[in-house]
Amino acid sequence: MVTQFGIKLAVHLITNHFGNLVAVILSLSRLSDLFCIGIDIEVLCVQKVCENLFSHGVLTLDQLVRYSELTKDQVKNSLLVLVQHNCCQAFVSAPEDDDDGADRLRVRTQYLVLFDNIIHRLRFPKFLETVSRKLDEECVELLDGLLRDGRLTLKQMVDRASQGKGKCFMMHLIENAVDTKVVREILSKLLTARLVERCPAPEPVVSTSFKETTTRKRGAKAAKIFEPPETLEQRVVEAAVPGDAIRFSFTADMKSKVDRETNSDDDEIASVQENDEKEEEILWRANFEEFIRHLRHKALIENIRTQHDDGTATVLSAVLEATKTVEKKVKMENSVPLSLDTITAEVMKTDTGRTMTIDRIRASLSQLGCSQRMIVDDAYSIDLKKIIERAQNEEVESIVLKRYGRDAYRMFRLLSKDGCFHDTDQIAASTLVEKKEAPKLLYRLWKDNYLYMEKVVATGVKQITILMWKVNKPLLWEHVLDEMYHAALNLSLRMAFEQEKDEELLNVPKDKLKEPGPLQKKYKRLLNVWLLLGSSLTKLDEALMLFHDF
Amino acid sequence: MSILQGKRKRQDLASALSASMTNEERVIYNIIRGKKEMGIWQGDIKRETNIPDSMLKKSIKLLISKTLIKEVVNIQNKSKKVLMAMEFEPSKEITGGEWYTEGRLDTGLIDALSDVCLKLITRKKVATRDAILEWTRTLGSEVFPGGVSSGQVEQILKVLVMENKIQEVNSTGFGDFSSVPAGEVCFRLAKKVGTNVKVGAMASIPCGVCPRITFCTPNGIISPTTCQYYQKWLDF
Ligand code: SF4
Repeated sequence: MVTQFGIKLAVHLITNHFGNLVAVILSLSRLSDLFCIGIDIEVLCVQKVCENLFSHGVLTLDQLVRYSELTKDQVKNSLLVLVQHNCCQAFVSAPEDDDDGADRLRVRTQYLVLFDNIIHRLRFPKFLETVSRKLDEECVELLDGLLRDGRLTLKQMVDRASQGKGKCFMMHLIENAVDTKVVREILSKLLTARLVERCPAPEPVVSTSFKETTTRKRGAKAAKIFEPPETLEQRVVEAAVPGDAIRFSFTADMKSKVDRETNSDDDEIASVQENDEKEEEILWRANFEEFIRHLRHKALIENIRTQHDDGTATVLSAVLEATKTVEKKVKMENSVPLSLDTITAEVMKTDTGRTMTIDRIRASLSQLGCSQRMIVDDAYSIDLKKIIERAQNEEVESIVLKRYGRDAYRMFRLLSKDGCFHDTDQIAASTLVEKKEAPKLLYRLWKDNYLYMEKVVATGVKQITILMWKVNKPLLWEHVLDEMYHAALNLSLRMAFEQEKDEELLNVPKDKLKEPGPLQKKYKRLLNVWLLLGSSLTKLDEALMLFHDF
Repeated sequence: MSILQGKRKRQDLASALSASMTNEERVIYNIIRGKKEMGIWQGDIKRETNIPDSMLKKSIKLLISKTLIKEVVNIQNKSKKVLMAMEFEPSKEITGGEWYTEGRLDTGLIDALSDVCLKLITRKKVATRDAILEWTRTLGSEVFPGGVSSGQVEQILKVLVMENKIQEVNSTGFGDFSSVPAGEVCFRLAKKVGTNVKVGAMASIPCGVCPRITFCTPNGIISPTTCQYYQKWLDF
């Protein structure tokens, strides 16, 4: 689900991150211009033009040059940066059945913006923290390099470590060049945890034809009621990812057999990420998917902890840990089924679960919604989607409570729970809201897109119009997500503004700031402002993931 | 039984009084009585009978003083009082149901009953519906002079669930649930005692509850760099 403010936030992040990067060949404005135009075209095209190519939000190099009014080199360089940072994926569309001879021979590389990967930039600190908790500081340093530079070979990682770029990177080795073996070992740890992966194929061949039933327009007006089976973005990303056996392995060889009969400028771009057969030349990058999976699991466990208790959270945690490598996708609706014995063994492995009895584990599983049927079959599977939905409901309900008050909150919860239409009087009666107040509150909720309303005309002695209300979740969720992107953008902008406003403070020597006086006061305020804005953004990002990634 | 007897008595009285009524009074009284527990608005009587205004008002006053009819507040429109024969109790449509007193939602009663239910659940950690009903029944006569029906208690429980103050769960038979057989439906507090209500990420920042968010743009008149809500929020 890519919403209008989602795109604005993505553009802002790109401008913000690459604007300060000296190494980037491009000037900041150029890059962001290209991006704005690139993405705007994508949206515009989705909305107005039904042409196959545009409606899927992809562009060729030539098209980009034309639309952005930049030179070819500028566009090429911009694309290089975006590909290097995993924000863009090139692909070649497979010839269609109805292509004529000339079309079949022409290799057309197209570029697709990876919206999710851009937004992930917001959560890099969370990724680093994950590694810090699961592995060690050396791994954190290596991942930090990968996040900063996008993609690195083993050789580049060694160089980076040798230059002592990271402050605390293996202090004892800084003077000397770091041994490749040492770095290789650190990388191995990250690979075993699947937190780092080989870069995807530079230009996979992908069929861009969508059958009638699976066609989906990308962008703000995305299909609302049902999730389509596959988007072009998913298809391209899937085609580019190497199989699990080589994705997380040093030794297995991967050659991407991209047909390159015609030599084009695109080849040059692709060559950046081309895998060399030599181990040292393989390009690595952070595996965002695994990080998001980890964050999803964390959110699931914490939600269960607040809803139930520590014991139940321990059981869920053990189940998820045991099955994470067999999860087929991040958004698993149900956990992979396990027998009670396996679950017990897994729970016993954990510090907090060691003292739990089988009866206690069974009770926790029943709290997690495992049914009688699962007990009979001895295959316990937990409804994860339900936990996520509950957390989403809570987030939206807390907005309603704060914005519209307790009476509106009750009415909203009634409608959200029932999921069907209710008339005004019925709502007022079952939530014990004053009959006169109810219509006013419902109207406000409706005006702000929180409720869906339909008028029903009843004909009897007199003709009366009855208003029927309901919570339309797919529509509302999209609206809330867009407001969240908007709020995140605002937080970011305000942070930049505060920094700019008090810029001179950053150049004042530290000693001076320690002396009591107006300068110190100002400095303290800035620190507080940063702390509040920063922590709010971190928290808001969790909500963004809850609605978009989980 | 006593109600029936009461009705009969009143009817006898009515027929006795009927003799002393003027023609207009009788017409008006019959119309009102015909409307039973729905009652009728004065304006509608006028339309039906064509009795002049002053006469109509005078007759109604007399009928009220003779306790043959009464005025009832109408929840749909408080200024339009409804006239009803004495022997009828106003319908739900007119009073708004058992939660309405004098046409107004009795929030005092709602709060008091919610309080009693919450206190019991807090004390017992988990409580079944029957236990709560029993508790309110024994307590009912002391706290609620008018008494409360089991329907009212049921509805309060529903409202408390709606308000996310309590949860309806199945007992596991363990820990807090040990007093309730496993599998039985019971209520417990939605939030653990001592923990704060979880405020969502959006609800804790200005934009999340901002009435002007749709007009706010990065470089517009309303923007995050100029907005008052931020100003207040960041005023350390
Ligand atoms: S920045 Fe200010 S005006 Fe804009 S949405 Fe947020 S609180 Fe509202």
